Amino acid sequence: MPRYAMVIDLQRCVGCGACSIACRSENNVPDGMYWSNKITETSGTFPNVRYHYIPTLCNHCENAPCVRGCPTQAMHKLENGITMHDPNKCIGCKYCEFNCPYGVIYFNWRKPHPFWQDESELIKGGTYSPAEEASKAGGKVLPYYNPERNETLAGIRPKGVVEKCTFCDHLVKRGELPRCVEACPADARVFGDISDPNSEVSKLLGKFRPFRLREQLGTDPHVFYIRDFNPAHYQPTKGGV
Amino acid sequence: MNSSKGVYYTWLGLIGAAILAGLYAAIRLFTQGHYLFNTNDVLLWSLPLGSYIYLALTSSGLTLLASLPLVFGVKKFEPITKRLVFLAIATLIGGFVAIGLELGNVLHMIYIFLSPNLSSPIWWMGLIYSVELVVLIVKFFLMHTGDWHSLFSRALGHISFLGALVAPLMIGSIFGLTESRVTYFGPVMPIYCLLMAILSGTALCIFYNLVVAGIDGNGLSEAKQGIFDDITRFFTYTLGTMIVFVLVKVAIESATVIPDFLNYRQYAQAFGGIGKLNTEVLLGLMLPFVLMLIPWIRAGNGSRMLASGLVMLGTLAMHMEILLAGQSRPIGPKAEQYPEYISYFPTIYEWLVLLLAVAVALLLYTLGERYLKLEAAPGH
Repeated sequence: MPRYAMVIDLQRCVGCGACSIACRSENNVPDGMYWSNKITETSGTFPNVRYHYIPTLCNHCENAPCVRGCPTQAMHKLENGITMHDPNKCIGCKYCEFNCPYGVIYFNWRKPHPFWQDESELIKGGTYSPAEEASKAGGKVLPYYNPERNETLAGIRPKGVVEKCTFCDHLVKRGELPRCVEACPADARVFGDISDPNSEVSKLLGKFRPFRLREQLGTDPHVFYIRDFNPAHYQPTKGGV
Repeated sequence: MNSSKGVYYTWLGLIGAAILAGLYAAIRLFTQGHYLFNTNDVLLWSLPLGSYIYLALTSSGLTLLASLPLVFGVKKFEPITKRLVFLAIATLIGGFVAIGLELGNVLHMIYIFLSPNLSSPIWWMGLIYSVELVVLIVKFFLMHTGDWHSLFSRALGHISFLGALVAPLMIGSIFGLTESRVTYFGPVMPIYCLLMAILSGTALCIFYNLVVAGIDGNGLSEAKQGIFDDITRFFTYTLGTMIVFVLVKVAIESATVIPDFLNYRQYAQAFGGIGKLNTEVLLGLMLPFVLMLIPWIRAGNGSRMLASGLVMLGTLAMHMEILLAGQSRPIGPKAEQYPEYISYFPTIYEWLVLLLAVAVALLLYTLGERYLKLEAAPGH
């Protein structure tokens, strides 16, 4: 059985956010939630400042605190290493979200996609209401609803349960790549079986010095980062003199 | 007679109104969702969870007090034991009301039994408190029918004692096992919760019994006066222990330079304070301790009520303070969409959850006092 992992090449990543948009469409992610997200940081003091961008998603940790703490095993590990969630077992205690060191789990505080359920027309008799528009488009709640998501997880998760990235397990199951990997225009994301020494992820991890987020916690994240995008250079000196 | 009946029905009416208001909140929460709370994906747990922790721990504290006669054979305390067991049941039911309205999908609770996760402290907490409630109810029924000391009855007393000892440790572990949130103090947190349970349970025991004695109009009997002299001493020792614990905690928080604690400090005095000492610690722990250290003040039932009342409020505030401060800052990418620090004040729905939980407990207390002969002791 494979153990899936992702390598994100920060030298290739341009921070365009296509991964997040593709993820949102693929997984019918409600507004305010980000299965695929980013950490932006600035370092230095003006005028010597620099901007850093780290794409984030569920780390599918080997020792996942969210899985350990879930009282009903709603959050669980698949045999292929993917950390999966079952909304039918979720009691909505939010302990996984509390426990996650990476801030990648979200709670459905209300019925998802409230905008598309609104039945009020902007101009009475003149425009469709969002709910009508969604229905005319043939979507389920969303006009751009993706029914494929429903194959392994509720297409739209109900209120009162958590949700997060699943490495697009429904696509992986049929041999396709996660949507964020597919959508990346810079090919900065590499996905594969970390237990196979010949996989591309294994080769990259052997070639570059990877880092992972908050490694000291011992969660063994399965999202690795390699390289860094930095075109800057400086004149060599002896100790800056 | 008529005036006391009037007061009684007015009281029941007030509780009824509070329960109706709480049920309105419950229906809204079930149909609309928990966005009605002032919570978000950073500050996840708020007043309803704080209320649950407070009530559940207080129930454990009451059970531990009841174990003095039921497990350790301190016969002197038997006249208040049946009431203690009943208070523990009613308070725990109040706690269950609070957690029931905090959970996003309470109907899925069945999976606690169908799909257990033994590595989860929440699972253990849920299991132990569920078993504890059943055991306490059966134990109370046996006591009510006069069976205090049969083998089965004593076994139930022992089981409830063990449950009350372990359940607070599980509540503490929920926070303490979260390695990524160091401000919850790791393995120290379970001990903190156990001490808080004993303290708030003892405070409720003193406060409640003195209120009941005041309503009866006869005051405390000589035997009960002796019991409450002892319990007040125990209360003072517990307060002293808690103060030492809190001072050590404050010292660590002040001395450390771990970034999480530096952030935590900016939020750690939600109710204000003097220097490093929070208002709830000063008024809810230190003032009652000082009052109870002075013999002539400690001897007065009025001052005992004041001290225990302050501790009841103080311990609730302390739970809230710890709960909120540890969640005040967004983790990882959530810093992209939320402010650096999350401010919090409960919404009306959160207050109504607390009101419903307390009103249910108060209704049970009231009906119990009326119909269940809570003063009964073996041989009486």
